[in-house]
Amino acid sequence: MKKTILFVVVLLLCNVAMAQMKVTGKVTSSEDGSPIPFANIQIKGVRNIGATTDLDGKFTFESISKDAILVVTYIGFTTQEVPVQGRSEVNIALVSDALNLEEVMVVAYGTVKKGTFTGAASLVKADAIKDVPSLSFENALNGKVAGMQITTTSGQAGSTSSIRIRGIGSMNASNEPLYVIDGVPVVSGDSGQMGDYIYTSNNVMSSLNPNDIESITVLKDAAASALYGSRAANGVIVVTTKKGKEGKPVISFKASVGVSPTWATSNFDAASTEQQVEMYYENFWNAGVYYQNMTQEAASISALKQLSKRFNKHGYTFSASDNTVKTLTIGGDRAGKYYNWDDQLFRTAVYQTYDMSVSGASERSNYYSSLSYTKEQGRVKINDFDRISGRVNLNQKISNSIEFATNINIAKSEKSGYNDTRSTGANYFLQSRNLLWGLYWPTDYLTGDPWTARYGSYAYNPVYYNNEWENWSKMLKISANETLTVKLLPELVLKSVFSYDNTNTMDHIYYSALHFNGSSTSGSVTEMTTNETKLVSSTTLNYNKVFAEKHTLGVLIGWEAEDNRTYFHRSSGTNLPTSALHTVSTAGKLDAAGYNWGSTMMSALSRIEYNYVNKYYFSASFRRDGSSRLGETTRWGNFWSVAGSWKIDSEKFMDNIDYISNLRLRASYGVNGTLPSSLNGWRSLTSYNNNYMQTPGGGVSTIADANLSWETSYTSNIALEFGLFDQRLTGSIEYFNRDSKDLLQDVPISLVTGFGTTLKNIGEINNKGIEIELNGDIIRNKTLTWSAGLTASTVKSTVEKLYGGQDIIWYDPTGGDARAKYIYREGESTLALYGLEWAGVEDETGKNLWYLNNDETPDLTVKGRAATYDYSKASETIIGNIHPKLFGGIHTDVKWNNFTAGLNFTYKIGGYTYDGAGKDVTDDGYYWERIMSKDQYENRWTPENKTASLPMRAAIDMEDVNQKSSRHMHKADFLRLKTINVGYNLPKNLTSKINVSNVRVYFNGSNLWTMAAYDVYDPEVNEYGTRGWETPICKTYTFGVEFTF
Amino acid sequence: MKKINILFTILGIVLLSSCEGFLDVKPTNSADASTSITTAADAKVIISGLMSKMVSSNYYGRNFFLYGDAKGGDFAIRSQGRGMDALYVFNHSASSNSFSGYWSQMYHCILQINNLLENIDKIEAAGKGSAALSDYKGQALTARALIYFDLVRLYGKPYNMDNASLGVPLILETLDASAQPTRATVAQVYEQIVTDLTAAAPLMGKTKVLGFLNYYANQAILARVYLNMGNNAAALTAAQAVITSGKYTLYSNANWVSSWSAENGSESIFELGVYLSEADLGTASLGFYLLRSGIQKGAMGWFMASDEFLARLNQDPSDVRWGIMDYDETYTDTGVKRYGSCRKYSGANLTGDKGSMSAVNIKVIRLSEMYLIAAEAAFPTNKQLAADYLKEIRKRSPNLAAPTATNITMQMIKDEKSKELFAEGQRYFDRIRWNESITFNDDFISPAVIITHRDKTIDRTFYKTILPIPKTEIDANPALASQQNPGYAQ
Repeated sequence: MKKTILFVVVLLLCNVAMAQMKVTGKVTSSEDGSPIPFANIQIKGVRNIGATTDLDGKFTFESISKDAILVVTYIGFTTQEVPVQGRSEVNIALVSDALNLEEVMVVAYGTVKKGTFTGAASLVKADAIKDVPSLSFENALNGKVAGMQITTTSGQAGSTSSIRIRGIGSMNASNEPLYVIDGVPVVSGDSGQMGDYIYTSNNVMSSLNPNDIESITVLKDAAASALYGSRAANGVIVVTTKKGKEGKPVISFKASVGVSPTWATSNFDAASTEQQVEMYYENFWNAGVYYQNMTQEAASISALKQLSKRFNKHGYTFSASDNTVKTLTIGGDRAGKYYNWDDQLFRTAVYQTYDMSVSGASERSNYYSSLSYTKEQGRVKINDFDRISGRVNLNQKISNSIEFATNINIAKSEKSGYNDTRSTGANYFLQSRNLLWGLYWPTDYLTGDPWTARYGSYAYNPVYYNNEWENWSKMLKISANETLTVKLLPELVLKSVFSYDNTNTMDHIYYSALHFNGSSTSGSVTEMTTNETKLVSSTTLNYNKVFAEKHTLGVLIGWEAEDNRTYFHRSSGTNLPTSALHTVSTAGKLDAAGYNWGSTMMSALSRIEYNYVNKYYFSASFRRDGSSRLGETTRWGNFWSVAGSWKIDSEKFMDNIDYISNLRLRASYGVNGTLPSSLNGWRSLTSYNNNYMQTPGGGVSTIADANLSWETSYTSNIALEFGLFDQRLTGSIEYFNRDSKDLLQDVPISLVTGFGTTLKNIGEINNKGIEIELNGDIIRNKTLTWSAGLTASTVKSTVEKLYGGQDIIWYDPTGGDARAKYIYREGESTLALYGLEWAGVEDETGKNLWYLNNDETPDLTVKGRAATYDYSKASETIIGNIHPKLFGGIHTDVKWNNFTAGLNFTYKIGGYTYDGAGKDVTDDGYYWERIMSKDQYENRWTPENKTASLPMRAAIDMEDVNQKSSRHMHKADFLRLKTINVGYNLPKNLTSKINVSNVRVYFNGSNLWTMAAYDVYDPEVNEYGTRGWETPICKTYTFGVEFTF
Repeated sequence: MKKINILFTILGIVLLSSCEGFLDVKPTNSADASTSITTAADAKVIISGLMSKMVSSNYYGRNFFLYGDAKGGDFAIRSQGRGMDALYVFNHSASSNSFSGYWSQMYHCILQINNLLENIDKIEAAGKGSAALSDYKGQALTARALIYFDLVRLYGKPYNMDNASLGVPLILETLDASAQPTRATVAQVYEQIVTDLTAAAPLMGKTKVLGFLNYYANQAILARVYLNMGNNAAALTAAQAVITSGKYTLYSNANWVSSWSAENGSESIFELGVYLSEADLGTASLGFYLLRSGIQKGAMGWFMASDEFLARLNQDPSDVRWGIMDYDETYTDTGVKRYGSCRKYSGANLTGDKGSMSAVNIKVIRLSEMYLIAAEAAFPTNKQLAADYLKEIRKRSPNLAAPTATNITMQMIKDEKSKELFAEGQRYFDRIRWNESITFNDDFISPAVIITHRDKTIDRTFYKTILPIPKTEIDANPALASQQNPGYAQ
């Protein structure tokens, strides 16, 4: 299409030239010097003469004017005009048009030129994500799209990320965006049911090889996303996979190896063993002297007795000759030797990936196929993930008007050995930081046998127990999209897509009879199979026509049906006969469950797009969805949008302003929705989980609102896009306002009805913010380009309305440890931390102080405010807001001859994070049997350190540390060098000798540098802004090589 | 190409025409509540579910018995803070320790019953009634009566104290989510209980079925209800109906102790089943709450007998009922074995009634109680009859003199009931019915603490004799705000 338009333009400027000569030349890419075949070359102003480059990028004109101007065009590159100026050989290097307004972007049900799109969308191309060592593409998007926050709770290999586009719009339903791959909505999130047993997730998106991705478009406003109707309120992520390019088959092979020797930051690093012993002694000594009126001698005896009781059996003795910590000495047979548990539990993790792809195209067919193998190790020794995936994308023109396309992806992955929960002995990160003393050894000091009992801190010996349990999840995912495109008329195209997507996940979890989780049942094993099928059929008719050369009209109508069904089966066995067989079949006692669930949706959709002289654009969309998640009376809903844009720089009055190369204003308004998470929230159910006397028992289990409906978002968006100095500086500034209404809430009802809550559409949330994207070429010439860009976003996310105006207290659902407390209150943030307000530590006594925030009689005043020593007298209040003031990314790239280099930063300014682990490792003496952090050692109150930030430790059951309070709240600001890339393309004369068209070697460093306002733990926290005992992320150094044949 | 067009047209038509069917996706592990009861077999499943819900930890599974025991003076706690001690120290307010689980679980059960009754009516109206269905209807009505009887005693004043005061909301049909019902009077609730029991009796089978209600369970409940209403004649008649039925026999002295190690005892009139991986509460079971601290992993020593009870049982050191008592944790301090730990719910040999220490059936009503009710009901008018009934139970203290028409006293009946039904959830309700003052064994708490939530001795004029309506209920149902029990902050 683009070529045709240019062709027409060239023809219209028809002119006759004189002085003929023969001209030959070669067209190459400025990026890597590789030849560009099939580039189109026209002579400016001359009709009927043109050439196409051959496979080596060469062209010949037998006879043209020596003053001719060659116009070279090729998709994906900026069109260039080159005067011949009498030369017989003209070599042309085309520059890739990364910033080109003509760039084609995949959006809802079609493609659009970036410069003409009326909605808010961001495009991320393969280049931006290709070298990042990540199983799944989401992490590579970090900081690249304004308004989008990506968080990873866990550094476990294969775990799920969370994405928030433009804030939080729901309390009860999902806040995750819709994912669309090659035009078809797909399943996302966690796969399998292992989460019911241990704290983990298995990211279904990791079945998509990031190397197969051509581009990712993030649809942000209603104009961009409303065509996805009732699922689009949280934005849409549109992924497009690769296609072949016309020309010789391109064979590419890529291999990379990454190593992760350390965590990305310090994470609750433990104090040394000597320091731990010192704090332990001090804990009891303080309790004796300060709280129990003991003499120093008595307190010292009591403290030493505690140490001896715990550690004599491990080969250590303790003494303190002057009855204070100053003379505390560790003796005994193992004196001076401490066990290094970190070495035992963690490793330098290795990441390897191998990708091979073959692609090509002819006039009638187009293919891309790939095979990939990836193996990722977690830093936790037992955690592994591997994946093998293959893809075939085929396009075949049957005739001039009919085209078939097939995209098939198959991926198999296996994840093993994981657990992030706070509550079991199986979380090695927690154990290393909080439970495993250097004084504990994996073997018994006296007998040399493995230590099998619980250690005093409630840790279990992982060296022994690692062999007594296992878990894994195996996922096999097959997806096939068939697309038929029929050109019914030149202006009318019918497209029908049928997609089949099946994800089969098998989960296995085993504890031997010797394991502490299996001992009461003589061993246990559970096998689960979850099979999720998604069928999507969508058919669209697309009409596009230019009338009177001024009016461009596009009309789309279509319908879509979707069927989702998941079959689940679980069988469990306990009382296992032998530790050699880890299967349910051998078990003495069996238990099973099996059922299936699903949802369906039907939709009709339409869109109209119109522009007048490519200056004034207008579009509108309408979709009607019917969903099985809602009752008959309410299941159909209408979603729509209107949008317009005005290309100001095309106006006459802008003609004289040379430095503005693009100026466009666009605005949109629309309505889209979110369906309830619950499949049957509208239906009162009788459930059968009340077995009685070994017979089935049932009862009404929910009281439902038959009129339950989806949540509705009303989004307006206004943006200014600009390009300056011939597009050397481009950018956009965008304002959005999203009012989410009819939000689902579990509304409290009279218990006399038989139930405590019912799901109703009640709440309202508002999100508004500003997003800025800026990109600039600082230096742009033939050998050197240096560009830089930034994204910056603000989101203000506010609860507007709640049922009866009543506050709702809720807890961070991650980790199952209710680590942070929040409140939904009208007029407050959607992530408002709720708890006691800590007033710090009293210098003289080392005691905790709390602001009262009520009318109780204060014990004292702190900074002029009423305060108390006793937390139970203080009242809870809103203590902070998780949402940052500003977040985004900064990137800069340099290309110099064959070298490329890039830096990608992400940052967050303002807001707080909540520390869910601090109560364990900076404890006041309550968990006295555990080890403490370096932070605790350095900052605790002692008579020598009276201005300490943490209180005195004393083993007297003080619960202060366990309060949800501002004590555990820390500033969230950080700047992180997310990735650094260096690449080098070997010179052609070298590579051609070995018949390789291109060889690239590269290095990628991930998370290598971090600067944080609070540096005790990794500042990249989860979507609720909390950090707990999840495995942290690592520094990864990746080296790769890529061959193209 | 034409073919393809036709294909798509057909596809489109098929898709659109099958629309509503396509969008109707039913769950497979649950059923639509509106269509889940259409046969007698369906009704049986709901009755089973109801019994299972009644044996939840919030009701007969643990907390309801603990309520009747912890507050009655026969039990004491050794230490504060172990769990459920709020019951003992009367630490209740509408917002904290309101024990709203009673309220929510009992009304949840009533919903199941009302829903079942409405569906049975529909089936019968369609002419598909059967004897089995009538039986289920009888069981449902009887269960509803029992639940209201329990509710009104938790939240309303004793019938013989002030039956015009507020009882509980009387719900006899399924409610809409928006319903905000208010409380009926104690008298109205009792009237409905009697109505339900009377309506149910002729529908119910007379065979003994373990785990379910039958005609005699209906009569036994009726006896309890009439006794509370002060209608001694009717209470006596109902109790006698059970006693003379021949379906149940008293445990002999020889097998009294072992009866706690078997299910479906010869005295069991209504016994709720607790089976492994059904309603088994494990270390949180009623049995564990009464075990000696540390005797088993998870046994915390929550509740033990008070000195007052032990002295009463010691009226006869050979009382067979000592056989179910074990020594308690005070032994570690004193070296003297004090037999304050009760094994009625863990089995005399800690193997329960079917091999598990925690999956032990709850004997809600048993025959001994009927004898004691009969004795109490007969006492004012027929001392000989009262003595005859009491004698059968009192002989479990072989060294105590048998009661006669001349020596029998009300205190003897009361003491016997305390000894026999110890830990069976009755004591507190009896004592506030008798308008006795209750003195607690607080000196037993070690180290001593000051109990601020009640005096050492209380009687039924103390406002915390009954529970507050939970704050969550009042928040969701403001119509009840003005009906909070007196003394509790509104």
